[in-house]
Amino acid sequence: MASVTTVAPTAATKSASKSGKTSVPGRGLRLTGYYLILLIIVIVFITPYLFSLFAAFKPLGDILGQSPARPPTSPTWANFRQIFTQDDFGRYLANTLLVTVILTIGQVTFSMMGAYAFAKMEFPGRDALFWMYLATLMVPNVVTLVPLYVMFAKAGLLNTYWAILLPYTLGVPQAVFLMRQNFMTIPKEVMEAARLDGCSESRILWRIVVPISKPIIITATLLAFVFGWNNFLWPLIVTNSNSLNVLSVGTANLNSNFADQWNLVLAASLVALIPMVILFAIFQKYIVRSISLTGINR
Amino acid sequence: MSVAAVTTGLGKPKSSEATPAADRRRIRTAFAFLAPSLVGVVLFLVIPVILVIILSLTQWNLLTPLKWVGFSNYANIFKYDAFGHSLLVTAYYVVLNIPIQTVVALGLALLLNNKLRGSAFVRIVAVLPFLATPVAMSVVWTWFFDPTNGIVNQLLGHIGIAGPAWLSDAATAMPIVAFANIWQYAGYNMLFFLAGLQAIPPSMYEAASLDGAGKLSQFRRITLPLLRPALLFVLVTGVIGSFQVFDTAFVLTNGGPGNATTVANLNIYNTAFQGFRIGEASAMSVILFLVILVVTVLQFTYFNRRTTYEMV
Repeated sequence: MASVTTVAPTAATKSASKSGKTSVPGRGLRLTGYYLILLIIVIVFITPYLFSLFAAFKPLGDILGQSPARPPTSPTWANFRQIFTQDDFGRYLANTLLVTVILTIGQVTFSMMGAYAFAKMEFPGRDALFWMYLATLMVPNVVTLVPLYVMFAKAGLLNTYWAILLPYTLGVPQAVFLMRQNFMTIPKEVMEAARLDGCSESRILWRIVVPISKPIIITATLLAFVFGWNNFLWPLIVTNSNSLNVLSVGTANLNSNFADQWNLVLAASLVALIPMVILFAIFQKYIVRSISLTGINR
Repeated sequence: MSVAAVTTGLGKPKSSEATPAADRRRIRTAFAFLAPSLVGVVLFLVIPVILVIILSLTQWNLLTPLKWVGFSNYANIFKYDAFGHSLLVTAYYVVLNIPIQTVVALGLALLLNNKLRGSAFVRIVAVLPFLATPVAMSVVWTWFFDPTNGIVNQLLGHIGIAGPAWLSDAATAMPIVAFANIWQYAGYNMLFFLAGLQAIPPSMYEAASLDGAGKLSQFRRITLPLLRPALLFVLVTGVIGSFQVFDTAFVLTNGGPGNATTVANLNIYNTAFQGFRIGEASAMSVILFLVILVVTVLQFTYFNRRTTYEMV
């Protein structure tokens, strides 16, 4: 409750209402103002989704002629039918799913194994290697873009699923670090006891560590999935065949070829946006927590 | 068991029932666990960082033999590829983007850090854009800001204002690219401020108001200083990301009109993957890396000094 009293005034000073002590009617007014602001915030964040949802089910004429705030009068699947038949969005959707799922499973599994080794096992060079992982955490993506492309070109892997996947599938330092920090908090006695009972390390990881670390693993999974789904620049440069396009690349292509066909490009955008909205609706608590976690750990 | 339990952290203790053979087996297992991510980190991060520096000293189109040119790329990208201009454009984007995004995120956090009904829902809604595919959302923004068919100019038309051409106007194009980014990440950054706010003990405010400190001075003397770690995180990660902006600029304007929004990453993309001038693009990448590094170090230094100053 204390937070209410500290928060409201700072917001109020911005909206220039400086009614120091709150009388009862003043409080009601401020509450109304507060909810008005909340409403505006919700509108700002929801409108792009809502209007493109409406537009994707309208013929082009209605998109141009009607208010975008108006729901479709006679909703039609025609736009989606067109991008799935005349363009290849079914294929793009399948590609995106395939790439994202493999990327996510690989990244989480391999990062988890690395994190467990760093957190709970002893081997020579552990600290030096961990510092190397930490150092690579600081490397901005843009730096590795050109050399990675050169490596994939020379390996003859351009225009393959491997090219899209590989750089992010063998484990990334962010995920290793995230899970390592979490595994560090598991009491050492747990492992010692299991080892005395003759448990192998992989049994300890899969049967003991994974079950008690479910929240952090879900966090890493969600972050990897969102990254894989939204990734654009890397798939754009390593593929140039229609059959390998992911949704982001397919949408950008469609947009540059049919910029005025709002019915089509908005339907295409929606195919990429909606699954993330659904993911968010299901996992919002985890996602909110995931973000805070990455902040604290970094 | 107790011997092993006592050892902590980063040392290299012997485990209790260690025989050389068991030790060797354990080390082998550890490296087996580490192998995939180690291969990934070395192959896709360490080697590329070394390679980009080497490539920046060459002229190469991937087909003809590679030619060593020393440091001449570093001069030529400024002379012939307008890389200086794209760095300025990027800096302009960062300057537009970061302060507004940070203030909006902080404002949202202050506004929503309470137990009033509805606040929790709005907190959630504000985070939703973080998941939006930037390419897809940029398409939606292109529609919103379309000069003739876009809702923004339609609304402006209702109140008698002839809206600008937005993305086709050099003056408004970059602010829209920044807006797209602010919309996407304001709620995301809000979460770090919320976490920071919730870590401030309420007793500090109680003590301050007993001492007669007003709300504004409480905000300046308690809230802001204690939010400093969150602020540093939001600024540092935001700036690093902003210097690499690509998706939104590519879809919204593709660098135009003219080269008003040709950010550094777009210049690198065009040089490397349209012009196939690998050496020049590598030199650009190295410079951008250095710029990001310097700006990041500056932020840390500034924050450290300010923190000490405030503490005294």
